[in-house]
Amino acid sequence: MIRRWTPGQWGLRALIVVGVLGALLATVPAGATPAPWLVVLVVLVALIFAVFPDSAAGAGAMVLVVAWWGVGLRDGLHPAALLAAAGLLVAHVAATVADLGPGTLPLDRAVLTRWSRRALLVLLAAPLAWGVATLVRDQPAPAGLWLAGLVAALVGLIAANLSFTRRAG
Amino acid sequence: MTGWRPTASLGRALLVGTAGIAFAVIFGDPVLVVLVAPLVLIAALGLLHRPTSAPRLSSHLDHVTLHEGQGTAVRLVVEDAEGVEHVTRVSAGAPHLASRPLSGSAGVLIDGDAARVPTLEVSPRRWGRRTLGEEKVGLTSAWAGYRWGALPLSGQAMDVLPVTAPFDSTAEVPAPIGLVGRHRSRRTGDGSEFASIRPFHAGDKLRRINWRVSLRSDALHVVTARAEQDAGVLLVVDALADHGASGGVDGQASSLDVTVRAAAAVAEHHIRSGDRVSMRVVGPGHELVGHGTGTRHLRMLLGKLARVRPGEPRDLAPDRLQLRVTAGTVVIVLSPMLADTIGTATAMLARRGLPVMVVDTLPEDVVPAVIEGTDATVADLAWRMRRVDRDQQLARLATLGCPVVPWRGPGTLDDVMRRLARRAQLPQVVTR
Repeated sequence: MIRRWTPGQWGLRALIVVGVLGALLATVPAGATPAPWLVVLVVLVALIFAVFPDSAAGAGAMVLVVAWWGVGLRDGLHPAALLAAAGLLVAHVAATVADLGPGTLPLDRAVLTRWSRRALLVLLAAPLAWGVATLVRDQPAPAGLWLAGLVAALVGLIAANLSFTRRAG
Repeated sequence: MTGWRPTASLGRALLVGTAGIAFAVIFGDPVLVVLVAPLVLIAALGLLHRPTSAPRLSSHLDHVTLHEGQGTAVRLVVEDAEGVEHVTRVSAGAPHLASRPLSGSAGVLIDGDAARVPTLEVSPRRWGRRTLGEEKVGLTSAWAGYRWGALPLSGQAMDVLPVTAPFDSTAEVPAPIGLVGRHRSRRTGDGSEFASIRPFHAGDKLRRINWRVSLRSDALHVVTARAEQDAGVLLVVDALADHGASGGVDGQASSLDVTVRAAAAVAEHHIRSGDRVSMRVVGPGHELVGHGTGTRHLRMLLGKLARVRPGEPRDLAPDRLQLRVTAGTVVIVLSPMLADTIGTATAMLARRGLPVMVVDTLPEDVVPAVIEGTDATVADLAWRMRRVDRDQQLARLATLGCPVVPWRGPGTLDDVMRRLARRAQLPQVVTR
C-alpha cells in the first residue's frame, strides 16, 4: 500500500507527523520538555495517523498533545502556543487532503491551493483567541465563569454530537 | 453506501475541539482554547456546509467498440451535484488495459459544476472482450465535512477489435470466379485492362471501336478488355491453443495474437479488393462467418475475431472438421501448426485440388508455458521434439502443393498467391 503512494501523498503524510510532533515539542521553548516516553508514544500514534488518515489515531494523537499542553504548562499563554496551534492545524488539514482519496491519488494543485488558503484563514482564530486570553488574563474572573464555560462546552459538545449523529443517519 | 455521512476529518475536528475546550475549563488553562480554536472553526464550517442534494452517479464509455491500441474516455455523470466540492474516482486495473492517470485515480474540485468531473482515459492493449475494473466514486462537501460514497460502479465491457497489421498484396488470387471485383480474369469482358484488338462483331459496343486501327485496315476493329472478377476467400483461424505470452499491441505477441491480427489484415485486404471473404474459427466457440463483402461484413469478421477464445472443442476430429469449402474458394489457414487436426484438415483440402496456403503464425522466439515444477531441461527437450514434428508436418504439406509462409506483414502472401495463380492455369489431377 505505502509503496504505491504518490510523492504528493508522501509529503502529506510527512506533514501529519511533523505537525503533531511540532505541536508537542512547542512546549520546549516555554520551558516544559515532554518525557521521552510521551514523545515516542505521540510519534507512534502520529505514524498510524499518517498511514491511516481516516482513523481515530488522528484524534488520539491530537488529544495527547492538547492534554500535554494542559498538564505540562501551568502558565501556558506562551507565544509558542501559536506554533502548536499551527502544527495541529497543519496535521489536520494534511490528513483531510490525504483522506480525499487513496494513496495513489495524484494531488491536484487546485485542491492544495484551496486548503492552504483555508488553513491560513482559520489559523487566524488562534492569535485572536491568544490575544483575547492575554487581555483578560489579569482580570479577576467573574464568579461562576469557569462553571459557565464548562456548561457551554458541554452543551456545545452535546449539540455537535447530536447534529453529527442525526445527519449521519 | 449512499447518503451524506460525516467525514473522519469532521469527527476529528469536533472531538479535538470539544476536548480542548473541556480541558481548558477543567484545568482553567485558556491556552488550550488557543490550540483548538482553528479546529473548532473548521468543524463549524464543515457542519454548516452540509449538502442537501442527492447525487446520482453513472459512468459510460465514449466508445464500446474500438481497435487495440486506440483510446477512449470513461465519463462520469453526476446529477444533482449541488454542494459537491470534490470528486474522487478510483478505477481498479484490468488485464490488458492501460489507463490515464496511470494509477486509475483522479480527484478534482468541481464546486457543484458536474461538467468538471474528471474523465479517465483507457486504452485496451489487446484484442478481445475487455471489461473495465470496478470504479469507486466519492463526493466530498465543502470544508470536507461530509462524504457521499464511495459508491461502486461496475466496470463496463468493450469489444476490442484486432489491429489490422500493415498488409497489402499486389498478387492476383488463384481462382477469381465471381462477377465483380478487382482481380483480372482470364476471360474478356467489361474491365479496364487491355486484352486485344479484334474485328468488329455484331453486338459489340460502339464505344469500344478503335478508329485508328479501323481506318488503317478498312474494317471496323474493337478493343477488348479483360473482365474483372472477385474471388471467394476462406480464412481458417486456428484457436486451439495460444502459445507464448501476450504483451499487448506494443509488446510481445503470442501465437494467437499473430493469428488473429493476420486474419484481420488479410480479411481487410480482400474485402477492400471486392472479394467475398468467409471465416471459420477452429476453437471452442466454433465462430463461423459466411461469404460476404463490404465494410459491414468486415466489421462482422473483426467482431468475431475479437471474441476468439483459445481452447479445444469437445468433438474435435480431423474427419469431422467441416470447413464447408466450395469450389474455387481460396483457403488461407492461419495457424501455428502445432495441432495434428489442423494439419490433417489442410492436407485434405489440398488433395481436393483447392488452392490452400498456410500462414505460419508461431512466433520465432515463443516459449511454451509449462506446469510449475516441471524440469526445465525436460520441457525444453519436449518443445524441441514438438517443433521437429511440426517441421515434418509442414514439409509434408509442401509436398502436397500447399505453400507455408511465416507471417511477416505486407507481401506475405504475394509470392505464394502468384505461384498458386500460375498453377491454377495448368491442367491438374484432382485426388478425391
